Order: sequence, then structure tokens, then C-alpha cells
Amino acid sequence: MEISFICNGRKRMAAISGETRALDLLREDLNLTGTKEGCGKGECGACTILLDGKPVSSCLLPAAKLDGRNVLTIEGLKGDGGKLHPIQQAFLDSGAVQCGFCTPGMILSTKALLDNNPAPSVSEVEVALSGNICRCTGYGKIVEAVLLAAERLQVKI
Amino acid sequence: MEYYKPKTAGEAVSLKTDSRMYIAGGTDLGVLLSEFMVQPEALIDLTGIDELCGVFKVDEGVAIGACTGISLIAESELLPACLVEGAKAIGSPQIRNMATIGGNICNASPCGDTLTPLVVLEAVFIIEGDSGERRVKIEDFFIGPKRTCMSPEEILKIIIIPSRSPDQKSGFRMIGKRNGQAISQVNAAVSAVITGGIIKDIRIAAGSVAPVPLRLKKTEDVVRGKALGSNFLERMKDTAEQEVSPISDVRAAEEYRRKVAGSLLESIFRAMRKEAV
Repeated sequence: MEISFICNGRKRMAAISGETRALDLLREDLNLTGTKEGCGKGECGACTILLDGKPVSSCLLPAAKLDGRNVLTIEGLKGDGGKLHPIQQAFLDSGAVQCGFCTPGMILSTKALLDNNPAPSVSEVEVALSGNICRCTGYGKIVEAVLLAAERLQVKI
Repeated sequence: MEYYKPKTAGEAVSLKTDSRMYIAGGTDLGVLLSEFMVQPEALIDLTGIDELCGVFKVDEGVAIGACTGISLIAESELLPACLVEGAKAIGSPQIRNMATIGGNICNASPCGDTLTPLVVLEAVFIIEGDSGERRVKIEDFFIGPKRTCMSPEEILKIIIIPSRSPDQKSGFRMIGKRNGQAISQVNAAVSAVITGGIIKDIRIAAGSVAPVPLRLKKTEDVVRGKALGSNFLERMKDTAEQEVSPISDVRAAEEYRRKVAGSLLESIFRAMRKEAV
């Protein structure tokens, strides 16, 4: 079947089969390899993308469900003039990245949180990131990074 | 594999054959598909059917379209507290943004976190199939782990939550290995009508303690008619521990599940007491 959707601000068309996962369409056909496959069962969050602004697990999502929708992957998250997005910069500045495999998913879950709640509490950050597993950092620095990003984004406004 | 997106429930039913499967949010089915545990010739996506989406007031109470997302249930102001809390307990933000309440019901896992609340709310299901529409009470719906009374071509369309007394309170608790992304080792829900401090009407259920979400009628008998602040918690816990019939499995041991079922109920009643003060 043919689908068309907006991906990172650009209109995309694709010919897919019913069993094609959104994750495979993004990685294999569109070469957007920032979206990672971890568990493949919707548990780890490495494959998180934003669908109409909301985080979803692209490993469980049939590509057919992208039709007519708006997708944001980590490649679409850009700051002013090609710089890093403030969330990305806050993750670097806080030392919230070690191996980096979970980072795209963490950052997109953070984006969805801060778009809706610009000044979250620690427990709100923890709930928002509860579907993103990190095996390196122990989460403390990731929570710090989200709070730092929130602060910087608010100052900007 | 083909992928159909019908616009009405009738169209979906007419597309269904033995080799085609319905899909809603896909959070359970996606795992089975990727591991080739099911290999349908086609998927029939129910989430584009307008009549299956949304939460709205009706004469009988509140109606929930079966394809309403778990995230929407978790934010709804029309729905009782126990169902909202049950929805919040499911999976992660990612899963809640994809999953539907109808999927949680039709998957019929004994540990489904919206099922125990729906049991104490005495939900009624409207189902459509080849021979038209029928209504099924939740107590007749689940017939075993992952098994329901629905025939393969039937679709769950609407969940009716019957009208409540203004004095009705409800609560939900679950316990898992962690807060996010955890399958319930045990969950429990209570719906009570409390008038002048007396528990007039009571419905209690527990999940992941039997082949189906279990209504605990003997435990209800212990609580009914008691003053909310009176000393019934120990007897209630003992009765609940006896009334559940859990198994030991990879997630928890039988004895643990019995104890925790009682403790979760105690926790719900203690919160109701606090709220009443």
C-alpha cells in the first residue's frame, strides 16, 4: 500500500506492506538511523519517535499507521542555524550521555514533555521518561539534563 | 500482507476472515507479529472508525469507544477515579499513547490494569458481529486467560459505565517490579457508595490472582454496612487472601499474591478514610 506522511517537516511517500514496522521504514527506507532498535517489544524506548507530537514505540507501530500523520525523529530536532537543539546541548552539558544508544529516545520523550509542561517537577520528569531505559547512567544525570533544558528553554522565551 | 482501514464497524466485520486479524493500538499484537507467533494474511485496523473513538455522556452513564487511547482514559474527567488510575498504571507514555482500552479488554490478560476497575464499575460491553449487535455484562465476558466470549469476527464497540451515585468513591492500586513499564503482579480496585460514613454499597475486585479479573463477593460481604472508619480491615484482608486463587509464575509467587491482594485493598480503604476526613 501507498502511504504519505510528514517526516521532520518534509512530505514523504512510501510503498509498504502491512507487516512493515514504522521503525524499519524510517531506518531502512528513509535512512533515518538515529531511531534505534533495542528490545523490539516496546519496553526499552530506544525506538521512540513523536507521532503528532506524542512519543510512541516505532518498533510496535505498523508503518501503515503513519499515513496522514506528522512524524518527528531525532534527525528532525535542530536548533537555530544548524546548532544542537537546547535539549541536546543540555544532555551533553549534564553528562547525561554515555554509550548514547538510548539518547535519541530520551531526548524525544523530553521534547514531548517540555512542549506540554515547560517547568516539570522531578517526579513529572521521571514519569515522562519511564518508558526509556538507560543501562549506563543511572538516570540521575538524565533527569538533571531535562531540568536544565527546561530552564534554558524558558529563559529563551 | 494487506492492511485494511475500514471506516465503519460493519465494514470491518465484513472484511474479517479466519486468516485476517483485527488490530487496534498494536501494542500486544505488534510483539506477536514481530516474533511470528501470529501470521495473518491481513490486518484490519479499527482505529480509523469514528464511532469507536471518544468518551461521552449517555443516558445510562458514560460511554467509551473501544478504540479510545489509554492516554485519553488516563486524563478523562468524565470517568471514575479507579479507571483513570488503572489507565495510568499501564506501560509507559509510549505504550499509553498507542494502546486502546478495547485492546486491553479484548486481550483479556488476567493482569490488565483497566479490567479490575471495569469489573467494580460493572461495565457493559456493546459488541457487533455478523448477526448484529449484542450487549454483554463484564461478569460474562472473560472466560479464561486471554479468552473472551466474543466470536472471531466480533468487534467490541462501546464500553458503558453505568451511572453512579454522587456518593460513589473508587480507587485502584497495583504492584509491579517498578512503577513504569511493569506488568501488575497484583492489582485491585474498589467502588463504594459511602453515605453518612457508612459503606452502603461495595464492589471489590482483584487482578492477576485468578484466570480472569476476579470479583471478590465474600470480601464485599465483610465490608458492606460497616462504618468507613471502623475496624474491619484485618478481617477484610484475611477474607480477600482466602478468596483469591492465584498461581506462582515468573512474576510472583502464589503466597505473595495472596498477601498483596489484601494489602492493596487495605491501602485503598485507608486512602478513602483520609479523603473522608
